Amino acid sequence: MQHQTMEIKTAVRQFIAENVLLGVHQTTIEDATPLVSGGLIDSIGMIGLVAFLEARFKVEFVPKEINVHSLDTLEKIEEVIRKKLAAREVDAAGSGRQIR
Amino acid sequence: MLSDWLRRTAAATPDAPAIVEAGPGEEDRVTSFRELFEQAASLAVRFVEKGVRKQDRIALVLPKTTEAIVSVFASLLAGAIYVPIHPQWPKERIETVLADCAARLVIEGDNGSPPRITDREKGCSIPWRGAPSVPSDKFGSLPRADAGDSALILFTSGSTGQPKGVLLSHRAVSAFVRWSAREFQISSADRIACPSPLSFDLSTFDIFNMALCGATCVLVPGHSLWMPRFLVQFLREARISCWYSVPSILAGMLEEGRLAQHDYPDMRLILFAGEVFRSHAVSQLQAALPQAVCANLYGPTETNVVTWCRVPRGFDGLQPLPIGQPCPYAAVAVDATTGELLAGGDSLMSGYWNRPEETQHAFVTLNGKRYYRTGDRVSQATDGNYLFLGRLDRQVKRRGFRIELAEIETALASCEDILEAAAVAVEDGKRGTAIVAFVHTRSAGAITLVEAKAHCARTLPLYMVPDHIVFLGAIPTGGTGKIDYLALSRMAKTLNHAGSDHAAPNHGDQDRSPAIHR
Repeated sequence: MQHQTMEIKTAVRQFIAENVLLGVHQTTIEDATPLVSGGLIDSIGMIGLVAFLEARFKVEFVPKEINVHSLDTLEKIEEVIRKKLAAREVDAAGSGRQIR
Repeated sequence: MLSDWLRRTAAATPDAPAIVEAGPGEEDRVTSFRELFEQAASLAVRFVEKGVRKQDRIALVLPKTTEAIVSVFASLLAGAIYVPIHPQWPKERIETVLADCAARLVIEGDNGSPPRITDREKGCSIPWRGAPSVPSDKFGSLPRADAGDSALILFTSGSTGQPKGVLLSHRAVSAFVRWSAREFQISSADRIACPSPLSFDLSTFDIFNMALCGATCVLVPGHSLWMPRFLVQFLREARISCWYSVPSILAGMLEEGRLAQHDYPDMRLILFAGEVFRSHAVSQLQAALPQAVCANLYGPTETNVVTWCRVPRGFDGLQPLPIGQPCPYAAVAVDATTGELLAGGDSLMSGYWNRPEETQHAFVTLNGKRYYRTGDRVSQATDGNYLFLGRLDRQVKRRGFRIELAEIETALASCEDILEAAAVAVEDGKRGTAIVAFVHTRSAGAITLVEAKAHCARTLPLYMVPDHIVFLGAIPTGGTGKIDYLALSRMAKTLNHAGSDHAAPNHGDQDRSPAIHR
């Protein structure tokens, strides 16, 4: 799980630096840098970010999960994705047992 | 005036649904006309008892919720002027507006909790009550509004660097709403959705057509606005029959939301306004919703809608869609020298709040009638339709929001590390309009891009924060010493084009000023 955590932040940081902020050095986006309230990502940027997260981590968001607060920092994004991945593993394990 | 509509509809169809709002669970929260009127009137009586006078300003710092609409009608029933303020605006901007309009009461809150009401004059709070709290025989004592009384103030981007308030009377709002109700045959069977916040003039359509026609106002859940596919799902599941928004939202629904993949049997009317809708997208929209009437409405906040054009059946999208012909309540003329559209008539604003000089400059008198100088350049086709050609000044539209580039420059220049700033807008195929700001900093490396954006976000709404900020050794000037905006536009286009192809991560310190020297 630990290496996956690192991977989430790194991947998101790289995506934002390359696609949203065009030319920002990745290290200047810190784990707690506010992305939405800090003016770095707007509504269109958010659409791109969510599409990226869904494709990269093979998860799906529902309306209630997306708001200004839930995805405002790399830390928060990581938390949301980690929970989604964990839920998926539980689901997979659950269905595995049923098959056996 | 406007609140009389609610009074009448509540008497005629008390149990019909006035507002539908998605609840915190999956259950819809429905407010009937009786409930809406009694809650609003009770609140209005309490406002008057607390000393709120006719034409006092009541600021609503609220998302578009049931409570916000109760607050709109409570303000109007008390004879006050409502001042809608987007709760996500930066604190500094909200304070500037509250001070500018000298708000007597401030009603603020977010989704899910009861609003807080503060009396700024007396320095006390008034508790919010979710249910009618005053005997209905007291409602008769509420003041009556005249057509010329002011109903609301909408704050919009100002070229002097401060937002300015557009003052609209009951008559002005009523002209547009009555016409739209008649032209588009709005009835109690309609379920209207308009995602625009109350601080945007588009939202006079849904809340006042609800009151006038007994239609249901279905509130678009805030979280749906972040993703086009959620909005498309909302349209379908909430059985929306009339929709009014800026084109950007519809374009998102067509592209990322894959609007065309589903059926919407209830949808009969799609209205859009606020910016140019690409013709190709308009034809796609019409093809996706073949049974719906689509119409382009045009008009700045100062006049609300003054011209309109129904999208012809089978519109091929090869020609630009006109802004159409004048609404019956509007008077329209064109300045022969500049091609500027001048707009007057019943929907015209009373003026800018507290700004007599700007008000004077905004109007021109023709044949004894006042017209607003829209700043929009138009031409008239042989069929009488007006075509929008562009702006005469530096105002731009980004996702339907109106932006004075000078306000962005003022915000950037207020940062102590920035000596000078210049902003330009460029067309960006996918994102619509992109804003590129060029800044000249006090010293090399004085500020990072992240810091510069955060500085903007402290005073500007998110839609005004530049997409790109470029650090320059100096801002280029022309022969007269004025900023060379043409040169900056060319640089911005190159940057925007390069940016869309940008793939490799950066190494080095490109985001620290100044990255590009001239």
